[in-house]
Amino acid sequence: MFGRKKSKIVATQTGECVGIESVPDSVFADKLLGDGIAIIPTDNKVKSPVNGTVVQVFDTLHAYSIKSDDGLEILVHIGLNTVELKGEGFTAKVSEGDKVHAGDILCETDINAIKEKGYEVYTPIVITNSDELKKLEFLKGQVIGGETTVMEYLK
Amino acid sequence: MKEFTYKICDELGIHARPAGLLVKEASDFESEIMIYKGEKSADLKRLFALMGLSVKKDDTIRVTISGSDEDAALTAIEGFFKNNL
Repeated sequence: MFGRKKSKIVATQTGECVGIESVPDSVFADKLLGDGIAIIPTDNKVKSPVNGTVVQVFDTLHAYSIKSDDGLEILVHIGLNTVELKGEGFTAKVSEGDKVHAGDILCETDINAIKEKGYEVYTPIVITNSDELKKLEFLKGQVIGGETTVMEYLK
Repeated sequence: MKEFTYKICDELGIHARPAGLLVKEASDFESEIMIYKGEKSADLKRLFALMGLSVKKDDTIRVTISGSDEDAALTAIEGFFKNNL
């Protein structure tokens, strides 16, 4: 309708933004957790993709659930199978219940240490309630964490 | 209504991967399926809510299932816990 504006989700890290289907892990690639994109990061700062509230900081510090102010449920999952690292290489910068703005730091990582341990650093950004959206578009390529738009949606 | 309780054996508990698989399994059924951990509960078809329970090793959870296909759902969901968690 007139005046309906698309909302934006920004990159969590600087790096390359790819489609979720290119993530080498079927639980993400098959969109089992929802639709989205993934960042192949080149930096260690992981930033909030939206304005919202931190709903969950996983005990293992590798994943963050954020509810956007307009009701999107977003999972930021740093690396693949990194639950097995049990927090090593991750420093959480937020707590559950914290209000965050897009670009605020959620977590600091050590991507080289994660890679050296044999894990992929792909960071899927998944909208777990993407089925409730009217429209969802993806913008891929080189991105800057906290700045570049990677998804646009209409509720 | 059907229900079962289960003590989690898996070292990593219900993290993103098993949560996703569990939601997929539960979504195949029309029945309402709820999971309880202590005072907290979540709809087993809602990923965010399920992950938010942060179910760990040695936690005992209870699952309730009610609806027209509750027998089949009980078999599938209880089986999933036994085989994967």
